[in-house]
Amino acid sequence: MRRLVAVAAGLFVMAAVAPAQEAEPSRTLMPGKGVEITTARCVICHDAQHITRTKLSRGEWEFNIKNMIERGAPIAPAEIAPILEYLATYYNRDSAPPAADASASASAEAGGDAVTRLLTTNACTACHQPDKRIVGPSFKEVAVKYAGDVAAPGALAKKIREGGAGAWGAVPMPPNAGLSDADLSQVVGWILQQK
Amino acid sequence: MNRNNGLNDVTRRAFLTRAAAAGAAMSSPAAFAQVAPKPPIAVAEPAGTVSNSAIMAEKFSAMQAHSDRPLTASVTAEYHHFAATPNDRMFVRNNLLTPDLDASKHRLTVKGLVDRDVSFSIDELRKNFPQVRTQAMLECAGSGRTGFVPRPSGTPWPTTGGMGCPVWNGVRLRDVLNAAGVKPNAAHVAGQGGDFGVIATVAPVIRSIPLAKAMEQHTLVVLGMNDGPLPKVHGYPLRLMVPGWAGSASTKWLHTLTVLDVPFKGTYMDTSYRIPRNAVKPGEKMPPDAAVTEAWPVKSMITHPAPNAVFKVGKPVLVEGRAWVGEGAIDRVDVSFDEGATWQRAAINSGGDKYAWRVFSIEHWPKRSGYATVLARATDERGHTQPIVATWNPLGYFWNGMHRVGFVVEA
Repeated sequence: MRRLVAVAAGLFVMAAVAPAQEAEPSRTLMPGKGVEITTARCVICHDAQHITRTKLSRGEWEFNIKNMIERGAPIAPAEIAPILEYLATYYNRDSAPPAADASASASAEAGGDAVTRLLTTNACTACHQPDKRIVGPSFKEVAVKYAGDVAAPGALAKKIREGGAGAWGAVPMPPNAGLSDADLSQVVGWILQQK
Repeated sequence: MNRNNGLNDVTRRAFLTRAAAAGAAMSSPAAFAQVAPKPPIAVAEPAGTVSNSAIMAEKFSAMQAHSDRPLTASVTAEYHHFAATPNDRMFVRNNLLTPDLDASKHRLTVKGLVDRDVSFSIDELRKNFPQVRTQAMLECAGSGRTGFVPRPSGTPWPTTGGMGCPVWNGVRLRDVLNAAGVKPNAAHVAGQGGDFGVIATVAPVIRSIPLAKAMEQHTLVVLGMNDGPLPKVHGYPLRLMVPGWAGSASTKWLHTLTVLDVPFKGTYMDTSYRIPRNAVKPGEKMPPDAAVTEAWPVKSMITHPAPNAVFKVGKPVLVEGRAWVGEGAIDRVDVSFDEGATWQRAAINSGGDKYAWRVFSIEHWPKRSGYATVLARATDERGHTQPIVATWNPLGYFWNGMHRVGFVVEA
């Protein structure tokens, strides 16, 4: 039904005017070289759709990064180039992203496995790093906190699924209601081994 | 103050009466049920903020969320078929989180180039100043951005989303500024609100407006909306309302006014909300001498019929819409049923508050069956007419291209 409406809408909208109904942009960033740092720095204040919804020129991405740093995005000077390179490669209005990108799978391999992909695609890494505190605690700190606690898996799973009140600082942990039970237990198991 | 907002449903009521007498086919209700609303996903609900789900629960079912964090949402033209925009159809556009503020503790402080710093509670604002009421346009600078090709970065507002014209209740900003005493070298007034981001490094959203606009009698410190409380998402308990200008000037959750001798320096003045003085090639960067977005250019939208509404040959179709301009007045609205080859003058309800939209209407009698379209084009008193397509600009502001609606005529 929605597709029919979209097609009908497309018929009578002027050539220069986009139809009101559009396919929903992806809620996660395309895998590729630089996706981790881009997710970690950008998907804190705004959702990934702010990136996936519009392809831009390299110049416009450069302007956007400058703009976001002015607005308070915690992007270090050395991080600008890899983020710009990622955005200008995978979300470029003037050129298509590389197909079946070898560096993307290499990066996923190097990053480990399915757990790394879960952490990235669910934007966990926007606030948590393996051993460095950024917005939230590092995974290692979480593992140390729960060390020796038999109730840890359940408590951590609940925290990830429902969100928390900001136990580690001023920023509360957002809920992740969409995570499947299997994925959740995989993530919990991995985090608790990080000490 | 003018208690009559000057806009009522007289035109429509008169038409309905005539239409009923003529046995006219009104648009099919099915046309209104076709948009599947996109709900926002559950996101972080930090302490002291209002959740997206609580905000959207108060909104009309067809309101579309355009992003979840920060929340942006709007309804398209056919859902604006009201004299004044009801709260549940007013667009949502936050730069940061939606704060949940306590009105009993809230204060408005005026400082900077004033004779004395002053501060007022909500009760004091109600008791100390004349209470005024005015209907006025509020429109996000990026409203209609999806009309631009190529698409610039920013909230993907539909070509007719991102604006509304509710009734505002409050006090004049100039009365509040005069209570502090504005110094002779004052030139700009900056508003700051109580919204905050998810991390401490986030810059506050601060915009400033020229003193002349701040002292204009319709620029308000708003305490209520549509004669009721101001909804939390729209700035409760206090907001600025800078009528006709880019919406970002109308600071929500307002707590501080700072009087300055120059425009406020900050990212929301110097990088965002800027538009080139002369057109640039699509995809090019913002030129360094770009202007700050202020008053909206002339614009209109067709609120009836809804897209794909069904009518009958030989029965009248009421074409109705809204026309507005950020400063000045609407002179006329022309309507075309042949893709712009020929134009007819629509009737305009010229009454109403200075910054309120104007209702235009025209009766159309379709002569043959098939697919039909209607285009609307407003012109202001200075002779500025809506373009076919708005001039492309790097941040996609001030889309005012002509609105076009298609409908079906059955034998």
